[in-house]
Amino acid sequence: MSDVLSAPLVVEFPFTRSLGPVQSAFLTGLRERTVLGVRTDDGTVLVPPVEYDPVTANELRDLVEVAPTGTVTTWAWNPSPRRDQPLDTPFAWVLVRLDGASTALLHALDAPGPESVRTGMRVRVRWAAARTGAITDIACFEPYEGAAAGGEPAPHTGEFADPVTGIVAPARLDYTHTPGRAQSAYLAALEGRRTVGERCPACRKVYVPPRGACPTCGVATAEQVEVGPRGTVTTFCIVNIKAKNLDIEVPYVYAHIALDGADLALHGRIAGIPYDQVRMGLRVEPVWVDGVRHPDHYRPTGEPDADYDTYKELV
Amino acid sequence: MRKEPVAVVGVGQTKHVAARHDVSIAGLVREAAVRALEDAGLAWSDIDAVVIGKAPDFFEGVMMPELYLADALGAVGKPMLRVHTAGSVGGSTALVAANLVAARVHRTVLTLAFEKQSESNAMWGLSLPVPFQQPLLAGAGGFFAPHVRAYMRRSGAPDTVGSLVAYKDRRNALKNPYAHLHDHGITLEQVQSSPMLWDPVRYSETCPSSDGACAMVLTDRDGATRSPHPPAWVHGGAMRSEPTLFAGKDFVSPRAGRDCAADVYRQAGITDPRREIDAVEMYVPFSWYEPMWLENLGFADEGEGWKLTEAGVTELDGDLPVNPSGGVLSTNPIGASGMIRFAEAALQVRGRAGEHQVDGTARALGHAYGGGAQFFAMWLVGSQPPPG
Repeated sequence: MSDVLSAPLVVEFPFTRSLGPVQSAFLTGLRERTVLGVRTDDGTVLVPPVEYDPVTANELRDLVEVAPTGTVTTWAWNPSPRRDQPLDTPFAWVLVRLDGASTALLHALDAPGPESVRTGMRVRVRWAAARTGAITDIACFEPYEGAAAGGEPAPHTGEFADPVTGIVAPARLDYTHTPGRAQSAYLAALEGRRTVGERCPACRKVYVPPRGACPTCGVATAEQVEVGPRGTVTTFCIVNIKAKNLDIEVPYVYAHIALDGADLALHGRIAGIPYDQVRMGLRVEPVWVDGVRHPDHYRPTGEPDADYDTYKELV
Repeated sequence: MRKEPVAVVGVGQTKHVAARHDVSIAGLVREAAVRALEDAGLAWSDIDAVVIGKAPDFFEGVMMPELYLADALGAVGKPMLRVHTAGSVGGSTALVAANLVAARVHRTVLTLAFEKQSESNAMWGLSLPVPFQQPLLAGAGGFFAPHVRAYMRRSGAPDTVGSLVAYKDRRNALKNPYAHLHDHGITLEQVQSSPMLWDPVRYSETCPSSDGACAMVLTDRDGATRSPHPPAWVHGGAMRSEPTLFAGKDFVSPRAGRDCAADVYRQAGITDPRREIDAVEMYVPFSWYEPMWLENLGFADEGEGWKLTEAGVTELDGDLPVNPSGGVLSTNPIGASGMIRFAEAALQVRGRAGEHQVDGTARALGHAYGGGAQFFAMWLVGSQPPPG
């Protein structure tokens, strides 16, 4: 299958998140070197805090301040850190129960090697030099020899000057995309400026672009059929607003075009005619430009318009 | 064994707005859920299971947000499941919940749907730069506008019909305190002179982008007897799907929509929907979809739907009010939009729709669709229990 194409597909976006009152207090607290937890209805202190009680479902707002020191409850060694992880040298992922908390927080522990990490070891927060109100304001944890701080965690209002109310959460997914056999063959034909679809062996419909299977009959398609190059505008709209990533002057016509011999319309831009003279039934042909795989646009052929009855099943 | 009758005893919504920066996603869904529980006179402990829906994860970039919402929705220690059917998800989520009660798997189920569009990017989520594919040459409206033109050609509808729908829905929204758009001074002339974005679709004929959530409490016959307010009874519910693209697909009146409606009417014993249904909440993201769905759902013959709209039949005081709540054209938290249709249909038969109540509504249809006219979900609710 060496003729099957493949290319990276990166899906990436900086999402925003409103924090709500509890996460706002927690992250603003980190900026101020203060770790906050929340007390649940049964007195458990959750760190990091949550907005609603996991047992009773009641709203939780009873914030408390816990210590920046704690005890490792379990851990896993990370020998080869990846991009955007807390440390760029090997480190331990740790669950740390901070002194005063009932639950453990996930973070990184800076340690020389796995032999220096153990459950029950004492650690403390290493604060980041520049803090913005994010979980990364805790740069990581580091070993600490002091005993556990005693006593109940003190109540905290959660109020700080200039609270952080939202964060930006960048998301990125890396895929390897392959269009598969049928579409690869279609793309290869486009290199020669030919449009080749596939016919369903059961219903005889010609799919362009082909998908390798007929969505109606559920059977594989293999018989290649060249269609076009001419076609009929089945319907269209006039686009008056400029899309962000498209370098096309508005207004322009975005049309559904049934290539001669195809049983499904494909989509394309119509040019070579004033936008307000495009009509359903207009006969068009592709216009290719060098170095571009797909037709740049379609232009009128000059033929008489197709009769509505000849294409109404394709609308 | 017969199915258990299903009753809607609680409905809750947030005030839908462009951006809810004051709450987390958990805080948003919580608001709707608490209001639904209050309406039902129930506590978290009365809920046996939670069924939640939202639009695809890409919209907000959080994979499986339902896991993090379990605390906020009192779902810890209970079954919680998520439904995915693109824009129709609010409707199919409600139907999954209803089926759990009908099948006597659970007695009382909380169902809800949400979207925080201000913290998402729906356009981006829907137009990933897939290698080798020709980029889509138009925005969301550009996907729908050619189908609207096809409808106009097929039906011969005058090009003003879309503006009548938008004018009606935006005025209805003024009577719904939860609606996003409250344009008090709106006139038909304003709608008709608003910018043409994707000709034939004008700016004022498109839906807004909203933050919001909607929740319902569904219960069995015993649960309904304890309801402090009149319940809505589910008389029929169905879902259908079809591919987004296939040779012979009717984009103007998709077969999956027709079949779905026919199934619901058969379950509910409806033979003449135009006469037997008193109010409709249908998913109309662009105004022209009202006449298109009137035909698809069997309220008008093919090519005749626009005549009902033009004659005022679908107005709040017409004899088949469509979208008394203001509809998707006035409020569109995508994942919740379908459930809002279902919930508003329930409010109508419960007599609890407030200022946008259609008097004497005995039967109402809730309708949702999504995914490029790929998924359909509908239910028919009545003020009386189903027979038998």
